Amino acid sequence: MKKKEQQNMPAGQRAGMVEPRPPFLLVLKRSSRMFLSMAPLLVGIMGLVGLVQTLVTPEMLALLFRGRPVTDTLVGTLAGAAATGNPVVSYLLGGELLQQGISLYAVTAFVLSWVTLGVIQLPMEAEMFGFRFMLLRNLLALGGTILVAVLTAFTMQVLS
Amino acid sequence: MSREERRSANGPPPFRGRLFLLLVVLAYGVLFRHDASAALLALRRGGLLLLRLLPVFAAVILLIALVNWLLRPQQIVRWLGRESGVRGWLLALLAGVISHGPMYAWYPMISDLRERGGRDGLVVVFLFARCIKVPLLPLMVDSFGLRFTLVLGLYILAGSLVQGWLMERLQR
Repeated sequence: MKKKEQQNMPAGQRAGMVEPRPPFLLVLKRSSRMFLSMAPLLVGIMGLVGLVQTLVTPEMLALLFRGRPVTDTLVGTLAGAAATGNPVVSYLLGGELLQQGISLYAVTAFVLSWVTLGVIQLPMEAEMFGFRFMLLRNLLALGGTILVAVLTAFTMQVLS
Repeated sequence: MSREERRSANGPPPFRGRLFLLLVVLAYGVLFRHDASAALLALRRGGLLLLRLLPVFAAVILLIALVNWLLRPQQIVRWLGRESGVRGWLLALLAGVISHGPMYAWYPMISDLRERGGRDGLVVVFLFARCIKVPLLPLMVDSFGLRFTLVLGLYILAGSLVQGWLMERLQR
């Protein structure tokens, strides 16, 4: 149907019709603008990541573990949440910690929370999704990380 | 295209998080006064991270555009909204497992989907399922063994779904 004919139709009739798809370039431009509006948040996060990576080294994180499974699991969760960077670092560091005799519970919690929890990105998460969502999501992820770590390590003990 | 649409497509974007960025800049300033070399190293690391993530950002922008172009709001609600059912949970799990890059790179896309009717439970599933990093699986197997990787992967998938379900309960 021609555009002019559509415009001459009664509003009720027009409402039932499927709107034509906008040009892809326009949609791409809108998406780019939307993403660009987050630029200060993203640049701020990356600046913060640079700061934490410089001030908190993997060696400092490894020193936090004391060889006690229960407290080490909590320490591992919190250290992983505070740390930042490529998950590869957490795998390599986790492997080292295991060789040093740190429990699998703690190492699993550390590797998991490295990816799923992030103290650094909390301000951005709150800004974008609201404080309540950020709080609930992170509390669930915190509980989930500890539970998954404990279940995984326990299952490994049973299987071996 | 309406005048409003044209204005929103051409005008300057409404920046978010300017105060946060200012605080980070201040933190750099303080560090620079105390230890200039550490501040420069941090700045270099942040800059390199930005460069490394540019392709991920480009991919996310393209993905947001494709989703908005291909799917109408009713379809997004049907796939990821209240009535999405099992398909929504599985889609969120799959998207979480195959998504690449840091979590915060995906926030703009998640925010966009939430505004269009996406469920919070599915967002939680997506974000926790990202613990499984497909390209890094060989390294994980090498560091912790195949059995550990499989057990952990299964618990992560189950844990994602439980968290998503709990989020839906808490949001009611």
